[in-house]
Amino acid sequence: MTIFELLEQGAVLPFAGGVIDSSTDVSRPLVVVNPTRLSVDVRTSEPVHLAVLYTESRTSSVEITLAEQAHVSLVEIYLAKTLSAVEIRQQRASECHILSAVLCGANTSYKIGLLGDHCASELDAVAVATGDEHATVAVETRHEVADCRSRSWVKCVASGRSTGEFRGLVYVAPDAQRTDAEQQNRNIELDGARIVATPQLEIYADDVRCSHGSTVGYADAEAIFYMRQRGLSEADARRLQIEGFVRDVVGRCRTAPICALLDERVVEKLSEI
Amino acid sequence: MLVVKDLHASVGDKEILRGISLEVKAGEVHAIMGPNGSGKSTLASVLAGSDKFTVTSGEATFMGEDLLSLSIEERARKGMFLGFQYPVEIPGVSMANFMKIAVNERRKYRGEEPLTAAEFLRLMREKSAVVELDSKLTSRAVNEGFSGGEKKKNEIFQMAMLDPTLAILDETDSGLDIDALRIVATGVTRLHREDNATVVITHYQRLLDYIVPDFVHVLYKGRIIYSGDKSLALRLEKEGYDWLINDYKE
Repeated sequence: MTIFELLEQGAVLPFAGGVIDSSTDVSRPLVVVNPTRLSVDVRTSEPVHLAVLYTESRTSSVEITLAEQAHVSLVEIYLAKTLSAVEIRQQRASECHILSAVLCGANTSYKIGLLGDHCASELDAVAVATGDEHATVAVETRHEVADCRSRSWVKCVASGRSTGEFRGLVYVAPDAQRTDAEQQNRNIELDGARIVATPQLEIYADDVRCSHGSTVGYADAEAIFYMRQRGLSEADARRLQIEGFVRDVVGRCRTAPICALLDERVVEKLSEI
Repeated sequence: MLVVKDLHASVGDKEILRGISLEVKAGEVHAIMGPNGSGKSTLASVLAGSDKFTVTSGEATFMGEDLLSLSIEERARKGMFLGFQYPVEIPGVSMANFMKIAVNERRKYRGEEPLTAAEFLRLMREKSAVVELDSKLTSRAVNEGFSGGEKKKNEIFQMAMLDPTLAILDETDSGLDIDALRIVATGVTRLHREDNATVVITHYQRLLDYIVPDFVHVLYKGRIIYSGDKSLALRLEKEGYDWLINDYKE
């Protein structure tokens, strides 16, 4: 399945950016392929599903503004070596879920600004690097005002001679009291690959709940033993475990026809490990 | 079926199994008991092929073949099943997907065709009923978010799916409430036949009320120091291990 087939079937709608308001058809996911400069202004409280696909190497910038009470679900799929910067600006009581899959040597950064109270931001990202790729996911979540919640969950798998990199920052401004922020990062390093992880917190308010964690591990020997004990070959057990590690993130996709496409690309990518 | 002769195994410099000999024949149920740290779980892991331990001497054959030269998965495909004391959670790997590969590997070894999707689903339904495992759990990730009881039921469910020749159940009863214990134990009993065998490792006699053993062995400091019939388990329950250990010390 390709995105073009989905467009042809009418399962998704093409989108070139601009304002999304009550007159925009948001009954189906809006799709953008290979943007150079994309600016989206969401001014409706209807749930909006947006998908961005990167299939060509280029530099790209995406800016999405969520007005009060806007709900956006953004899926980003990187299939080419892209240098991309995504900036999200959220006004009061808006909610944004980002699912990002970096399936190549792309360098992606997310800057999420929580500018109005009672916003929620959730980000699930996975990077799979093979060969000599360098895949980067950077996430900066900025709690500029009080009473917002954010969660980011980033996983990287690196195999071969590749590098998987995670850079995380949660910033909590002096007045951003009652912030609830969580940032988690899990990595698996296979063969001679390398993981670089730099999780950071910058907190200037005192009444906050912030948790973060980052781990780098190899394949889980206990899980491999368990699966082999049930008759799976070592190769199958390793493949299933890595697939599971990645699927744990990909499974959180909320944009139906895009999820199926993402699943296929993930399986293809994992076959390179 | 399984013949173990003077098996020694170590982890690092520490010898944990210090000369185990055991013979299990088709149709038999063996119980292995013993105080904590006597080597019961190590014995189970070594027989299953865990590379955490090094076999330093002795021999073991399974179905007439040299067990120790077989890989973990070869042992499994030939019909050896280890029910884990602590079943492992594998996030993102669905029970169905995992079991499908496992069942078809076992079938391939037996020279049988892989199951069709419909046959596999039917088998899953039928076998999950053996241990009253909620069928919703089989569509979840392996053991993830399962309660202690569900994990143990899930072990016996997998045992039912794979139809092993020899099942070694490592403290399958630990952490189970009375109802779960009955369900798990009844499941194991229902799977017992004249052409297969079961080894249960347990601390408690109560499991053996359901799974009646032909032989009870007491493992202490890496050796089987005493073997008897099911009455031995009852005596151990009443009197503890001291009388045996003292005997052994003299």
